Amino acid sequence: MTTKQIQITIDGKELSVDPSWTILEAARQNGIEIPTLCHHAALSNWGGCRLCVVEVDKSPKLAASCVMPVRNGMEVVTANDAITASRRMTMELLFAERNHNCMFCPDSGECELQQMAYTLQMDHLTVSQSFPAFPVDVTGEYMTIDHSRCILCGRCVRACQEIAGSYVIGFHNRGPETMIGFDLLEKREASGCSNCGACLQVCPTGAISSRYRTHYAVKGQPADRLTIESICAGCGLLCPTRAVVRDNQLIRIEGILADPNGRPDRGQLCYRGRFEVLKTRGPRLLAPMVKDEQGQWREQGWDQALEFISTGFKSARSGGLFGIASSQLSNEVLVLFKELMADRWKARVDTLDGDHFRNLATAMAGTGETMPAEAAWKKVTDADMVLIVGADPHGSHPLLLSLLRQAHIERGIPIAAIGRTERADLFSTDYLEVAEKDMEPTLAALAALAASPDKTARTGEGVDNQQPAVLDNIARAYAGAKTPLILVGDQLTGAKSGAGLEALFKLARLKETPTGEKAPVAILEPGANSMTAWRLGVPDQKASEVKAGDGLVLLGDEQDAELNALAERLQPSACLVVMSPYFNAALADKAHVLLPKPLWLEEDGSYIGLNGTPTMYKPKVLDPPPGVKHTWETLQSLAQRAPSPATPAAWADIRMKAEEIINVKNR
Amino acid sequence: MGKPKVATVWCEGCAGCHMSFLDLDETLLDVLSRIELTVTPITDFKDYRFPDVDLGIIEGGVGNEEQLEIVQHMRAKSKIIMAWGDCAVFGGINTLRNQTPVKDLLHYGYVASASTMNGVIPIHAELPRLLDKVLAVNAVIQVDCYIPGCPPSPEAIAYGLTEILLGRLPVLPSDMIHFD
Repeated sequence: MTTKQIQITIDGKELSVDPSWTILEAARQNGIEIPTLCHHAALSNWGGCRLCVVEVDKSPKLAASCVMPVRNGMEVVTANDAITASRRMTMELLFAERNHNCMFCPDSGECELQQMAYTLQMDHLTVSQSFPAFPVDVTGEYMTIDHSRCILCGRCVRACQEIAGSYVIGFHNRGPETMIGFDLLEKREASGCSNCGACLQVCPTGAISSRYRTHYAVKGQPADRLTIESICAGCGLLCPTRAVVRDNQLIRIEGILADPNGRPDRGQLCYRGRFEVLKTRGPRLLAPMVKDEQGQWREQGWDQALEFISTGFKSARSGGLFGIASSQLSNEVLVLFKELMADRWKARVDTLDGDHFRNLATAMAGTGETMPAEAAWKKVTDADMVLIVGADPHGSHPLLLSLLRQAHIERGIPIAAIGRTERADLFSTDYLEVAEKDMEPTLAALAALAASPDKTARTGEGVDNQQPAVLDNIARAYAGAKTPLILVGDQLTGAKSGAGLEALFKLARLKETPTGEKAPVAILEPGANSMTAWRLGVPDQKASEVKAGDGLVLLGDEQDAELNALAERLQPSACLVVMSPYFNAALADKAHVLLPKPLWLEEDGSYIGLNGTPTMYKPKVLDPPPGVKHTWETLQSLAQRAPSPATPAAWADIRMKAEEIINVKNR
Repeated sequence: MGKPKVATVWCEGCAGCHMSFLDLDETLLDVLSRIELTVTPITDFKDYRFPDVDLGIIEGGVGNEEQLEIVQHMRAKSKIIMAWGDCAVFGGINTLRNQTPVKDLLHYGYVASASTMNGVIPIHAELPRLLDKVLAVNAVIQVDCYIPGCPPSPEAIAYGLTEILLGRLPVLPSDMIHFD
């Protein structure tokens, strides 16, 4: 589409520009640089700092180019003595207003304020400093705030609204006492902040800083660091990331802002993707370990360890080999795992979340379909009602919390949560706390109420004492919705009984259109790659069928919770092999061999994620520690010791094969 | 005309700027052959009632009465005053104490801090009293040129001195300015 262009002159250059642009946009589109500070490409225009001032039509009054629209025939000058003097005075006032001491600031060297002072050659102040006493807020779990370093540019305020959709950060007080605050509080603690870190990423100074790896001794100079674009495989949302690495150490992870990527999240990340990955966890496993006769763990070479496994498996009960994988693993590893364990070792395979898949399949069997009419998670942004059932987005898919909150605040849609949902007050209009065993009666009652609007809920029929009104609200909102979305979480899919799921599908069917479309149900699968694992048919045997005397390979990931839950149920086995990045104390009692494995940050791999996310390739961000082989290499070495050994393939071949298989399964 | 006379003082600072000056390595020999250092903490010179010099260099902010007197004397005796380092230029890390009244500050430091027992605030005619606030040097006297940095790099210090020797007032180029 061509818009009618208008003519302006910037620094003597005649330019044809879009009439909707600001002077700043027109200049930058044409390679003319104007310094800015409060402006951020991913945020709305603000016009707060006045650093971007330019001369327009020889007016003695300078104009802020970031907010001044272009006009036909406009003559703009971006640099002359008066402009430089004005910019320099702006900088001096910013420095004089609060206490900017670069020598002990964690962000020195990466600070836009500091860099701007250097550019403008601000080698001293001509105005007197005010040395105000501002607090430092260290109550945040992941971020600290030194209000003394804040220049009130409002980037965090805008990011919290426009990127995170949280509307938590705002300006408090007035004049020189102005400071950013959280909800109506002075501190981040106890506010509605979900620690997504968007404010941290856009802060141009050291006012908001991360609690992790910000010391220069760790992070080094910018020139020492590498930036790698990848994706986060922490959950099935697979957010694009930009990782900053120095000497194979992860320094930080950022969202890719201001880069339209077809996702509704505008490049934000969550507390897990941004901060949790920086936490150092238990001791890494750096070499294979085998338990000796005395029950002591001993480091072994790969050959001895693999030989030990091979012998162990041959002594296992006939037909008693199992392979159980985490669904956090990549397509390639899952394809290889299924093939090598099932075809080569004749083992039965499952995933740690296989029960969820079987529950869904059973519940669907009653409906005559194979999989629910699944909706993309992105539909959160255009549904007119969202019902969250048995899910905890803050724990499992934190980014969704932002999208839900935004939908609630900006579009005013009802958002109801049934189950055990952390921080439901941040995004839901109605929250009914329901235990796993009560889900089925509650959902059945909800369906009955939604079907006949004149009925009202009664205590005892699916709800406890004080809650009939809440259930009524939810039922009315659902009945009145034209395009509702149901988000189903692991509390329902992982329940012992599938009755809850069946009740849920009945509820979804209420919204069936004449063409047979039901209310869309988005399943929040527990693993980043559960969908792949399920489509591949990895969970074909129940892990709970493992008996004493079996041989087992447990392929874990860095999130040990599910692995540990399984470990508790395990009978003594003939040979238990655990592949995990960490020395897992919970499994060490029962295991016979521990094989090291890279973290997800240390391996390439493709992921499918939740429905609606295209397959994404994740380049590795770090190298695995010396001695730790790639998971796909270890799996192949293991297969070579099988009764019918496989010829090892190269990574490129494995990748191609996985792609083929997944494409076929997707059809 | 003989070699230009240079005096340096060290007020409320950490000696880091003087260390950075000494860190000029072999350039230092060249610099010292072209100037005459008269009064400087490098030679442990403690009497700051010095005669006229061409260049007076100040490291550190102005935080007590003695420092105020020294910089005022230096201004009176120097043709050019150069401020070295963030403390002299901006007040620096010492200004952290500006948020607390002096009375409370001394009480905390000498009496109330956890490691102090039976403490008293020292008061003696020979002990200079603290000013209300630590100030940048240009808040109390006129300063002619500035070499910020914590500490300034030896290159920035060399640049400043070279410009003076060439008869110009130094203004650091952008890539030589740093505040850390």
